[in-house]
Amino acid sequence: MNSRIQSPLLFGFVLLAAWQALVMVAKVPEYLLPAPSVILANIDRTLFVQLGVTFAEALAGFLIASVLAFVSAILFVRFHALEEGLFPIAIAVKTTPIVAVAPLLVIWLGTGWWSKIVAVVLISFFPVLVNAVKGLKAADAEYRELFQTLGATRAQEFRKLRIPYCLPYLFSALKISSSLAVVGAIVGEFVGATQGLGYLIIVSSAHLETATLFAAIGAAAFAGIAMFYAIGWTERRLVFWQSREGE
Amino acid sequence: MPSAPTRLLQVDPLITIANLQVHFGDVVAIEDLSFVVQRGEFISLLGPSGCGKSTLLRAVARLVPSANGCITLHDSGLRVGFMFQKPLLLPWRTALNNVLLPVEIQLGGSVVSSTDELRARQMLDMVQLGDFVDAYPQQLSGGMQQRVALARALMGDPDVLLLDEPFGALDELTREVLNEELIRIWQSRKTRLKTILMVTHSIPEAVVMSDRVIVLTSRPARLIEDVQVKCPRPRTPEDPAIISVMKDVRAMVRADR
Repeated sequence: MNSRIQSPLLFGFVLLAAWQALVMVAKVPEYLLPAPSVILANIDRTLFVQLGVTFAEALAGFLIASVLAFVSAILFVRFHALEEGLFPIAIAVKTTPIVAVAPLLVIWLGTGWWSKIVAVVLISFFPVLVNAVKGLKAADAEYRELFQTLGATRAQEFRKLRIPYCLPYLFSALKISSSLAVVGAIVGEFVGATQGLGYLIIVSSAHLETATLFAAIGAAAFAGIAMFYAIGWTERRLVFWQSREGE
Repeated sequence: MPSAPTRLLQVDPLITIANLQVHFGDVVAIEDLSFVVQRGEFISLLGPSGCGKSTLLRAVARLVPSANGCITLHDSGLRVGFMFQKPLLLPWRTALNNVLLPVEIQLGGSVVSSTDELRARQMLDMVQLGDFVDAYPQQLSGGMQQRVALARALMGDPDVLLLDEPFGALDELTREVLNEELIRIWQSRKTRLKTILMVTHSIPEAVVMSDRVIVLTSRPARLIEDVQVKCPRPRTPEDPAIISVMKDVRAMVRADR
Protein backbone atom coordinates (compact mmCIF):
# COMPACT_ATOMS: atom_id res chain seq x y z
CA MET A 1 0.00 0.00 0.00
CA ASN A 2 1.48 3.36 -0.95
CA SER A 3 1.51 6.49 1.16
CA ARG A 4 -1.25 8.07 -0.99
CA ILE A 5 -3.70 5.62 0.55
CA GLN A 6 -1.90 5.01 3.79
CA SER A 7 -1.74 8.51 5.23
CA PRO A 8 -5.41 9.47 4.70
CA LEU A 9 -6.40 6.15 6.29
CA LEU A 10 -4.14 6.76 9.25
CA PHE A 11 -5.36 10.32 9.79
CA GLY A 12 -8.97 9.21 9.36
CA PHE A 13 -8.49 6.58 12.01
CA VAL A 14 -6.90 9.09 14.41
CA LEU A 15 -9.80 11.51 13.89
CA LEU A 16 -12.38 8.78 14.54
CA ALA A 17 -10.52 7.73 17.71
CA ALA A 18 -10.42 11.34 18.93
CA TRP A 19 -14.16 11.67 18.22
CA GLN A 20 -14.87 8.44 20.11
CA ALA A 21 -12.74 9.60 23.07
CA LEU A 22 -14.34 13.05 23.14
CA VAL A 23 -17.87 11.62 23.24
CA MET A 24 -16.95 9.12 25.96
CA VAL A 25 -15.02 11.53 28.17
CA ALA A 26 -17.32 14.56 27.83
CA LYS A 27 -20.45 12.36 27.96
CA VAL A 28 -22.03 14.09 24.94
CA PRO A 29 -25.71 13.10 24.66
CA GLU A 30 -26.33 10.67 21.81
CA TYR A 31 -28.97 12.83 20.09
CA LEU A 32 -26.36 15.61 19.68
CA LEU A 33 -23.28 13.65 18.66
CA PRO A 34 -23.30 9.86 18.69
CA ALA A 35 -19.96 8.06 19.05
CA PRO A 36 -18.54 6.35 15.93
CA SER A 37 -19.14 2.98 17.60
CA VAL A 38 -22.86 3.77 18.00
CA ILE A 39 -23.11 4.96 14.37
CA LEU A 40 -21.38 1.77 13.26
CA ALA A 41 -23.93 -0.27 15.19
CA ASN A 42 -26.69 1.53 13.25
CA ILE A 43 -25.44 0.29 9.90
CA ASP A 44 -28.00 -2.40 9.18
CA ARG A 45 -29.81 -4.02 6.30
CA THR A 46 -32.37 -1.17 6.05
CA LEU A 47 -29.58 1.33 5.50
CA PHE A 48 -28.20 -0.73 2.61
CA VAL A 49 -31.69 -1.05 1.10
CA GLN A 50 -32.18 2.75 1.27
CA LEU A 51 -28.69 3.31 -0.11
CA GLY A 52 -29.53 0.95 -2.97
CA VAL A 53 -32.70 2.91 -3.78
CA THR A 54 -30.93 6.27 -3.82
CA PHE A 55 -27.98 4.88 -5.75
CA ALA A 56 -30.27 3.34 -8.38
CA GLU A 57 -32.16 6.64 -8.80
CA ALA A 58 -28.92 8.59 -9.07
CA LEU A 59 -27.37 6.14 -11.52
CA ALA A 60 -30.46 5.94 -13.75
CA GLY A 61 -30.82 9.72 -13.85
CA PHE A 62 -27.10 10.18 -14.41
CA LEU A 63 -27.04 7.79 -17.36
CA ILE A 64 -30.13 9.35 -18.95
CA ALA A 65 -28.74 12.85 -18.43
CA SER A 66 -25.32 11.96 -19.82
CA VAL A 67 -26.70 10.40 -23.00
CA LEU A 68 -29.21 13.24 -23.52
CA ALA A 69 -26.58 15.91 -22.89
CA PHE A 70 -24.01 14.34 -25.19
CA VAL A 71 -26.50 13.89 -28.03
CA SER A 72 -27.70 17.48 -27.52
CA ALA A 73 -24.10 18.70 -27.59
CA ILE A 74 -23.49 16.94 -30.92
CA LEU A 75 -26.66 18.49 -32.37
CA PHE A 76 -25.70 21.93 -30.98
CA VAL A 77 -22.26 21.80 -32.58
CA ARG A 78 -23.57 20.33 -35.84
CA PHE A 79 -26.49 22.74 -36.19
CA HIS A 80 -25.44 26.15 -35.04
CA ALA A 81 -28.98 27.55 -35.07
CA LEU A 82 -29.98 25.02 -32.40
CA GLU A 83 -27.14 26.16 -30.17
CA GLU A 84 -28.00 29.82 -30.61
CA GLY A 85 -31.67 29.26 -29.81
CA LEU A 86 -31.51 26.63 -27.09
CA PHE A 87 -28.26 27.27 -25.24
CA PRO A 88 -29.49 30.46 -23.47
CA ILE A 89 -32.66 28.62 -22.45
CA ALA A 90 -30.57 25.74 -21.15
CA ILE A 91 -28.51 28.17 -19.07
CA ALA A 92 -31.69 29.77 -17.69
CA VAL A 93 -33.06 26.39 -16.66
CA LYS A 94 -29.70 25.49 -15.15
CA THR A 95 -29.65 28.55 -12.88
CA THR A 96 -33.01 27.60 -11.36
CA PRO A 97 -32.19 25.79 -8.08
CA ILE A 98 -33.21 22.16 -8.13
CA VAL A 99 -34.60 22.52 -4.58
CA ALA A 100 -37.13 25.02 -5.92
CA VAL A 101 -38.26 22.73 -8.72
CA ALA A 102 -38.38 19.45 -6.77
CA PRO A 103 -41.86 20.00 -5.20
CA LEU A 104 -43.28 20.59 -8.67
CA LEU A 105 -41.77 17.31 -9.86
CA VAL A 106 -43.51 15.48 -7.01
CA ILE A 107 -46.86 17.05 -7.95
CA TRP A 108 -46.41 16.02 -11.58
CA LEU A 109 -44.74 12.66 -11.22
CA GLY A 110 -45.78 11.48 -7.74
CA THR A 111 -43.61 10.22 -4.88
CA GLY A 112 -42.23 7.23 -6.83
CA TRP A 113 -39.01 6.76 -8.79
CA TRP A 114 -39.69 9.20 -11.61
CA SER A 115 -39.72 12.45 -9.64
CA LYS A 116 -36.24 11.56 -8.31
CA ILE A 117 -34.86 10.45 -11.64
CA VAL A 118 -36.06 13.65 -13.31
CA ALA A 119 -34.51 15.72 -10.51
CA VAL A 120 -31.23 13.88 -11.09
CA VAL A 121 -31.47 14.44 -14.85
CA LEU A 122 -32.08 18.17 -14.33
CA ILE A 123 -29.10 18.58 -12.05
CA SER A 124 -26.59 16.45 -13.98
CA PHE A 125 -27.55 17.43 -17.53
CA PHE A 126 -25.96 20.87 -17.76
CA PRO A 127 -22.35 20.29 -16.73
CA VAL A 128 -22.20 17.51 -19.32
CA LEU A 129 -23.85 19.62 -22.01
CA VAL A 130 -21.61 22.65 -21.46
CA ASN A 131 -18.37 20.65 -21.36
CA ALA A 132 -19.30 18.38 -24.26
CA VAL A 133 -20.07 21.40 -26.46
CA LYS A 134 -16.72 22.88 -25.46
CA GLY A 135 -14.92 19.59 -26.11
CA LEU A 136 -16.54 19.02 -29.50
CA LYS A 137 -15.26 22.42 -30.57
CA ALA A 138 -11.83 21.97 -29.02
CA ALA A 139 -10.04 20.30 -31.94
CA ASP A 140 -7.73 22.85 -33.59
CA ALA A 141 -8.79 24.40 -36.87
CA GLU A 142 -5.71 22.71 -38.39
CA TYR A 143 -7.06 19.29 -37.49
CA ARG A 144 -10.27 20.15 -39.29
CA GLU A 145 -8.24 21.35 -42.28
CA LEU A 146 -6.45 18.00 -42.28
CA PHE A 147 -9.80 16.20 -42.38
CA GLN A 148 -10.91 18.54 -45.16
CA THR A 149 -7.84 17.74 -47.27
CA LEU A 150 -8.56 14.04 -46.74
CA GLY A 151 -12.08 14.61 -48.04
CA ALA A 152 -13.84 13.64 -44.81
CA THR A 153 -17.60 14.08 -44.47
CA ARG A 154 -19.08 15.96 -41.51
CA ALA A 155 -20.10 12.63 -39.96
CA GLN A 156 -16.55 11.29 -40.29
CA GLU A 157 -15.16 14.48 -38.79
CA PHE A 158 -17.39 13.95 -35.76
CA ARG A 159 -16.72 10.24 -35.42
CA LYS A 160 -12.99 10.20 -36.00
CA LEU A 161 -11.96 13.61 -34.69
CA ARG A 162 -14.42 15.64 -32.64
CA ILE A 163 -15.92 12.91 -30.46
CA PRO A 164 -12.62 11.28 -29.39
CA TYR A 165 -11.16 14.75 -28.92
CA CYS A 166 -14.13 15.60 -26.67
CA LEU A 167 -13.72 12.59 -24.34
CA PRO A 168 -11.37 14.23 -21.80
CA TYR A 169 -13.80 17.19 -21.55
CA LEU A 170 -16.73 14.81 -21.27
CA PHE A 171 -15.17 12.86 -18.43
CA SER A 172 -14.33 15.89 -16.33
CA ALA A 173 -18.00 16.85 -16.64
CA LEU A 174 -19.14 13.32 -15.80
CA LYS A 175 -17.12 13.44 -12.58
CA ILE A 176 -18.89 16.64 -11.55
CA SER A 177 -22.33 15.46 -12.55
CA SER A 178 -21.92 12.04 -10.90
CA SER A 179 -21.59 13.74 -7.50
CA LEU A 180 -24.45 16.07 -8.34
CA ALA A 181 -26.62 13.09 -9.29
CA VAL A 182 -26.61 11.86 -5.67
CA VAL A 183 -27.56 15.36 -4.51
CA GLY A 184 -30.44 15.40 -7.00
CA ALA A 185 -31.76 12.03 -5.83
CA ILE A 186 -31.65 13.03 -2.15
CA VAL A 187 -33.31 16.42 -2.79
CA GLY A 188 -36.05 14.57 -4.68
CA GLU A 189 -36.51 12.24 -1.71
CA PHE A 190 -36.62 15.13 0.77
CA VAL A 191 -39.68 16.56 -0.94
CA GLY A 192 -41.76 13.44 -1.12
CA ALA A 193 -40.71 9.83 -0.90
CA THR A 194 -41.38 6.59 0.93
CA GLN A 195 -37.86 5.22 0.67
CA GLY A 196 -34.26 6.17 -0.03
CA LEU A 197 -31.52 7.91 1.93
CA GLY A 198 -33.28 11.31 1.69
CA TYR A 199 -36.38 9.77 3.23
CA LEU A 200 -34.28 8.11 5.94
CA ILE A 201 -32.54 11.43 6.74
CA ILE A 202 -35.86 13.31 7.06
CA VAL A 203 -37.46 10.61 9.25
CA SER A 204 -34.47 10.04 11.52
CA SER A 205 -33.94 13.77 12.05
CA ALA A 206 -37.63 14.20 12.95
CA HIS A 207 -37.29 11.40 15.52
CA LEU A 208 -33.91 12.67 16.78
CA GLU A 209 -32.37 9.35 15.82
CA THR A 210 -29.06 11.08 15.28
CA ALA A 211 -27.00 7.90 14.95
CA THR A 212 -29.20 6.70 12.05
CA LEU A 213 -28.96 10.19 10.57
CA PHE A 214 -25.17 10.01 10.67
CA ALA A 215 -25.18 6.56 9.11
CA ALA A 216 -27.43 7.85 6.30
CA ILE A 217 -25.15 10.85 5.73
CA GLY A 218 -22.17 8.49 5.56
CA ALA A 219 -24.02 6.26 3.08
CA ALA A 220 -24.87 9.31 0.89
CA ALA A 221 -21.21 10.33 0.87
CA PHE A 222 -20.27 6.76 -0.03
CA ALA A 223 -22.71 6.78 -2.96
CA GLY A 224 -21.15 10.00 -4.33
CA ILE A 225 -17.60 8.74 -3.91
CA ALA A 226 -18.43 5.40 -5.52
CA MET A 227 -19.91 7.13 -8.59
CA PHE A 228 -16.93 9.47 -8.82
CA TYR A 229 -14.38 6.67 -8.69
CA ALA A 230 -16.28 4.50 -11.15
CA ILE A 231 -16.13 7.38 -13.65
CA GLY A 232 -12.44 7.95 -12.92
CA TRP A 233 -11.73 4.26 -13.46
CA THR A 234 -13.53 4.26 -16.83
CA GLU A 235 -11.75 7.47 -17.82
CA ARG A 236 -8.30 6.04 -17.21
CA ARG A 237 -9.10 3.19 -19.56
CA LEU A 238 -10.87 5.17 -22.26
CA VAL A 239 -8.83 8.39 -22.32
CA PHE A 240 -5.48 6.67 -22.08
CA TRP A 241 -3.66 9.27 -24.19
CA GLN A 242 -4.08 12.14 -21.71
CA SER A 243 -1.26 12.57 -19.28
CA ARG A 244 -2.41 12.40 -15.73
CA GLU A 245 0.08 14.71 -14.14
CA GLY A 246 -1.18 16.94 -11.37
CA GLU A 247 -4.09 14.70 -10.52
CA MET B 1 25.70 3.59 -56.80
CA PRO B 2 23.20 4.68 -59.42
CA SER B 3 23.31 8.42 -59.92
CA ALA B 4 20.23 10.43 -59.05
CA PRO B 5 17.76 10.52 -61.92
CA THR B 6 18.18 13.59 -64.03
CA ARG B 7 14.97 15.47 -64.19
CA LEU B 8 14.36 17.03 -67.55
CA LEU B 9 12.25 20.12 -67.26
CA GLN B 10 10.03 19.52 -70.22
CA VAL B 11 7.00 21.71 -70.61
CA ASP B 12 4.33 19.63 -68.95
CA PRO B 13 2.13 21.93 -66.86
CA LEU B 14 0.46 20.30 -63.88
CA ILE B 15 -0.92 23.26 -61.95
CA THR B 16 -1.43 26.72 -63.39
CA ILE B 17 -1.94 29.64 -61.05
CA ALA B 18 -3.18 32.65 -62.98
CA ASN B 19 -3.79 36.11 -61.51
CA LEU B 20 -4.62 34.66 -58.12
CA GLN B 21 -6.10 37.10 -55.60
CA VAL B 22 -7.05 36.19 -52.04
CA HIS B 23 -8.70 38.61 -49.62
CA PHE B 24 -9.55 38.13 -45.97
CA GLY B 25 -12.03 40.93 -45.45
CA ASP B 26 -10.09 44.11 -46.27
CA VAL B 27 -6.71 42.42 -46.00
CA VAL B 28 -5.17 41.38 -49.28
CA ALA B 29 -3.21 38.18 -48.65
CA ILE B 30 -2.25 37.40 -52.23
CA GLU B 31 -2.23 39.91 -55.08
CA ASP B 32 -2.13 39.01 -58.74
CA LEU B 33 0.12 35.97 -58.53
CA SER B 34 0.82 33.77 -61.54
CA PHE B 35 3.13 30.84 -62.12
CA VAL B 36 3.03 27.34 -63.55
CA VAL B 37 3.99 24.16 -61.73
CA GLN B 38 5.51 21.65 -64.14
CA ARG B 39 5.07 17.95 -63.62
CA GLY B 40 8.04 16.48 -61.78
CA GLU B 41 9.26 19.73 -60.25
CA PHE B 42 10.26 20.47 -56.69
CA ILE B 43 9.19 24.04 -56.09
CA SER B 44 9.74 26.13 -52.99
CA LEU B 45 7.64 29.13 -52.12
CA LEU B 46 10.00 31.40 -50.24
CA GLY B 47 8.96 34.47 -48.30
CA PRO B 48 8.94 36.02 -44.85
CA SER B 49 6.58 34.66 -42.17
CA GLY B 50 3.00 35.69 -42.66
CA CYS B 51 3.48 36.73 -46.28
CA GLY B 52 0.59 34.66 -47.55
CA LYS B 53 2.53 31.66 -48.84
CA SER B 54 0.59 29.28 -46.62
CA THR B 55 -2.59 30.85 -47.96
CA LEU B 56 -1.36 30.14 -51.47
CA LEU B 57 -0.79 26.49 -50.61
CA ARG B 58 -4.21 26.29 -48.98
CA ALA B 59 -5.76 27.83 -52.07
CA VAL B 60 -4.19 25.08 -54.21
CA ALA B 61 -5.58 22.50 -51.76
CA ARG B 62 -9.00 24.21 -51.99
CA LEU B 63 -8.96 25.04 -48.30
CA VAL B 64 -9.46 28.75 -49.05
CA PRO B 65 -12.85 29.29 -50.60
CA SER B 66 -12.49 33.02 -51.34
CA ALA B 67 -9.80 32.66 -54.01
CA ASN B 68 -10.44 34.84 -57.03
CA GLY B 69 -8.60 34.18 -60.24
CA CYS B 70 -7.69 30.80 -61.32
CA ILE B 71 -5.97 27.68 -60.08
CA THR B 72 -6.12 25.00 -62.73
CA LEU B 73 -5.19 21.40 -62.11
CA HIS B 74 -4.29 19.99 -65.53
CA ASP B 75 -5.32 16.48 -64.64
CA SER B 76 -8.79 15.68 -63.38
CA GLY B 77 -7.59 12.64 -61.46
CA LEU B 78 -4.76 14.52 -59.80
CA ARG B 79 -4.19 13.34 -56.27
CA VAL B 80 -3.02 16.02 -53.88
CA GLY B 81 -1.43 15.34 -50.49
CA PHE B 82 -1.05 18.00 -47.83
CA MET B 83 1.35 18.15 -44.95
CA PHE B 84 1.12 20.75 -42.23
CA GLN B 85 3.70 22.38 -40.02
CA LYS B 86 2.33 20.46 -37.05
CA PRO B 87 2.17 16.66 -37.26
CA LEU B 88 -1.57 16.71 -36.39
CA LEU B 89 -1.57 13.08 -35.35
CA LEU B 90 -4.57 11.70 -33.48
CA PRO B 91 -3.24 10.85 -29.99
CA TRP B 92 -5.63 7.92 -29.53
CA ARG B 93 -4.30 6.15 -32.61
CA THR B 94 -1.05 4.25 -33.04
CA ALA B 95 1.38 5.33 -35.76
CA LEU B 96 -0.05 2.62 -38.02
CA ASN B 97 -3.65 3.68 -37.46
CA ASN B 98 -2.75 7.33 -37.99
CA VAL B 99 -1.27 6.40 -41.37
CA LEU B 100 -4.45 4.43 -42.16
CA LEU B 101 -6.71 7.42 -41.47
CA PRO B 102 -6.86 8.63 -45.13
CA VAL B 103 -7.85 5.12 -46.25
CA GLU B 104 -10.57 4.85 -43.60
CA ILE B 105 -11.98 8.20 -44.67
CA GLN B 106 -11.99 7.21 -48.33
CA LEU B 107 -13.64 3.87 -47.58
CA GLY B 108 -16.48 5.50 -45.65
CA GLY B 109 -17.66 2.79 -43.29
CA SER B 110 -16.07 -0.39 -44.58
CA VAL B 111 -13.19 -2.17 -42.94
CA VAL B 112 -9.58 -1.45 -43.86
CA SER B 113 -8.17 -4.39 -45.85
CA SER B 114 -4.97 -6.23 -45.04
CA THR B 115 -3.52 -4.85 -48.29
CA ASP B 116 -4.05 -1.31 -46.99
CA GLU B 117 -2.47 -2.24 -43.71
CA LEU B 118 0.52 -3.71 -45.49
CA ARG B 119 0.86 -0.51 -47.52
CA ALA B 120 0.68 1.59 -44.35
CA ARG B 121 3.50 -0.50 -42.89
CA GLN B 122 5.52 0.06 -46.06
CA MET B 123 4.95 3.81 -45.78
CA LEU B 124 6.19 3.76 -42.20
CA ASP B 125 9.18 1.73 -43.39
CA MET B 126 9.85 4.35 -46.03
CA VAL B 127 10.07 7.08 -43.37
CA GLN B 128 12.31 4.81 -41.24
CA LEU B 129 9.66 4.09 -38.62
CA GLY B 130 9.17 0.40 -39.33
CA ASP B 131 9.87 -0.43 -35.69
CA PHE B 132 7.33 2.04 -34.35
CA VAL B 133 4.08 0.94 -36.00
CA ASP B 134 2.36 0.35 -32.66
CA ALA B 135 3.72 3.42 -30.87
CA TYR B 136 1.36 6.21 -29.87
CA PRO B 137 2.25 9.76 -31.00
CA GLN B 138 3.03 10.91 -27.45
CA GLN B 139 5.71 8.19 -27.26
CA LEU B 140 7.46 9.60 -30.35
CA SER B 141 9.79 12.59 -30.69
CA GLY B 142 8.74 15.65 -32.70
CA GLY B 143 10.78 14.50 -35.69
CA MET B 144 9.29 11.02 -35.57
CA GLN B 145 5.78 12.45 -35.32
CA GLN B 146 6.42 14.48 -38.44
CA ARG B 147 7.70 11.32 -40.17
CA VAL B 148 4.37 9.64 -39.34
CA ALA B 149 2.59 12.66 -40.81
CA LEU B 150 4.67 12.29 -43.98
CA ALA B 151 3.80 8.59 -44.18
CA ARG B 152 0.13 9.53 -43.78
CA ALA B 153 0.41 12.11 -46.58
CA LEU B 154 2.02 9.45 -48.82
CA MET B 155 -0.67 6.89 -47.97
CA GLY B 156 -3.14 8.53 -50.35
CA ASP B 157 -0.53 7.96 -53.11
CA PRO B 158 -0.50 11.62 -54.16
CA ASP B 159 0.89 12.91 -57.45
CA VAL B 160 1.55 16.26 -55.81
CA LEU B 161 2.57 16.93 -52.24
CA LEU B 162 1.85 20.35 -50.73
CA LEU B 163 4.08 21.01 -47.75
CA ASP B 164 3.48 23.93 -45.40
CA GLU B 165 6.82 24.45 -43.63
CA PRO B 166 6.80 20.73 -42.96
CA PHE B 167 9.77 20.58 -40.63
CA GLY B 168 9.72 24.21 -39.49
CA ALA B 169 8.91 23.34 -35.89
CA LEU B 170 11.83 20.92 -35.56
CA ASP B 171 15.42 21.54 -34.53
CA GLU B 172 18.04 22.27 -37.19
CA LEU B 173 19.64 18.80 -37.22
CA THR B 174 16.40 16.81 -37.38
CA ARG B 175 15.17 19.17 -40.02
CA GLU B 176 18.21 18.58 -42.24
CA VAL B 177 17.83 14.80 -41.99
CA LEU B 178 14.13 14.94 -42.81
CA ASN B 179 14.75 17.26 -45.76
CA GLU B 180 17.17 14.71 -47.19
CA GLU B 181 14.61 11.95 -46.71
CA LEU B 182 11.97 13.99 -48.43
CA ILE B 183 14.27 14.36 -51.44
CA ARG B 184 14.98 10.64 -51.35
CA ILE B 185 11.25 9.79 -51.33
CA TRP B 186 10.58 12.32 -54.08
CA GLN B 187 13.30 10.73 -56.24
CA SER B 188 12.27 7.16 -55.43
CA ARG B 189 10.21 5.31 -58.00
CA LYS B 190 8.20 3.47 -55.36
CA THR B 191 5.51 6.15 -55.20
CA ARG B 192 3.56 8.16 -57.76
CA LEU B 193 4.83 11.30 -56.09
CA LYS B 194 6.69 13.43 -58.60
CA THR B 195 5.82 17.00 -57.83
CA ILE B 196 6.33 18.93 -54.61
CA LEU B 197 5.26 22.42 -53.67
CA MET B 198 6.84 23.44 -50.39
CA VAL B 199 6.41 26.61 -48.34
CA THR B 200 9.50 27.70 -46.43
CA HIS B 201 11.15 30.80 -45.02
CA SER B 202 14.64 29.32 -45.08
CA ILE B 203 16.78 30.37 -48.06
CA PRO B 204 19.29 27.47 -47.75
CA GLU B 205 16.47 24.93 -47.47
CA ALA B 206 14.69 26.33 -50.52
CA VAL B 207 17.81 26.50 -52.69
CA VAL B 208 19.29 23.13 -51.73
CA MET B 209 16.04 21.23 -52.23
CA SER B 210 14.27 22.85 -55.15
CA ASP B 211 14.32 22.94 -58.92
CA ARG B 212 12.67 26.34 -58.69
CA VAL B 213 12.39 28.88 -55.92
CA ILE B 214 9.45 31.25 -56.15
CA VAL B 215 10.46 34.32 -54.15
CA LEU B 216 7.51 36.24 -52.74
CA THR B 217 7.08 39.68 -51.18
CA SER B 218 5.60 40.10 -47.75
CA ARG B 219 1.89 40.76 -47.43
CA PRO B 220 0.34 40.92 -49.91
CA ALA B 221 2.23 38.09 -51.56
CA ARG B 222 3.49 39.09 -54.99
CA LEU B 223 6.09 37.41 -57.15
CA ILE B 224 9.58 38.92 -56.92
CA GLU B 225 11.44 36.33 -58.93
CA ASP B 226 11.10 32.79 -60.18
CA VAL B 227 14.60 31.32 -59.69
CA GLN B 228 15.70 28.18 -61.51
CA VAL B 229 18.20 26.15 -59.51
CA LYS B 230 20.05 24.12 -62.13
CA CYS B 231 22.72 22.57 -59.91
CA PRO B 232 23.04 18.77 -60.15
CA ARG B 233 21.83 16.52 -57.35
CA PRO B 234 22.72 15.34 -54.79
CA ARG B 235 23.47 18.78 -53.44
CA THR B 236 24.89 20.10 -50.21
CA PRO B 237 24.70 23.61 -48.77
CA GLU B 238 28.47 23.83 -49.30
CA ASP B 239 28.41 23.45 -53.10
CA PRO B 240 29.82 26.66 -54.61
CA ALA B 241 27.04 26.78 -57.21
CA ILE B 242 24.41 26.43 -54.46
CA ILE B 243 26.08 29.13 -52.37
CA SER B 244 26.04 31.46 -55.33
CA VAL B 245 22.28 30.91 -55.89
CA MET B 246 21.67 31.46 -52.17
CA LYS B 247 23.46 34.80 -52.40
CA ASP B 248 21.34 35.86 -55.37
CA VAL B 249 18.13 34.86 -53.61
CA ARG B 250 19.16 36.61 -50.42
CA ALA B 251 19.85 39.78 -52.41
CA MET B 252 16.36 39.60 -53.96
CA VAL B 253 14.69 39.19 -50.58
CA ARG B 254 16.71 42.08 -49.11
CA ALA B 255 15.96 44.36 -52.06
CA ASP B 256 12.25 43.95 -51.31
CA ARG B 257 12.56 45.49 -47.84
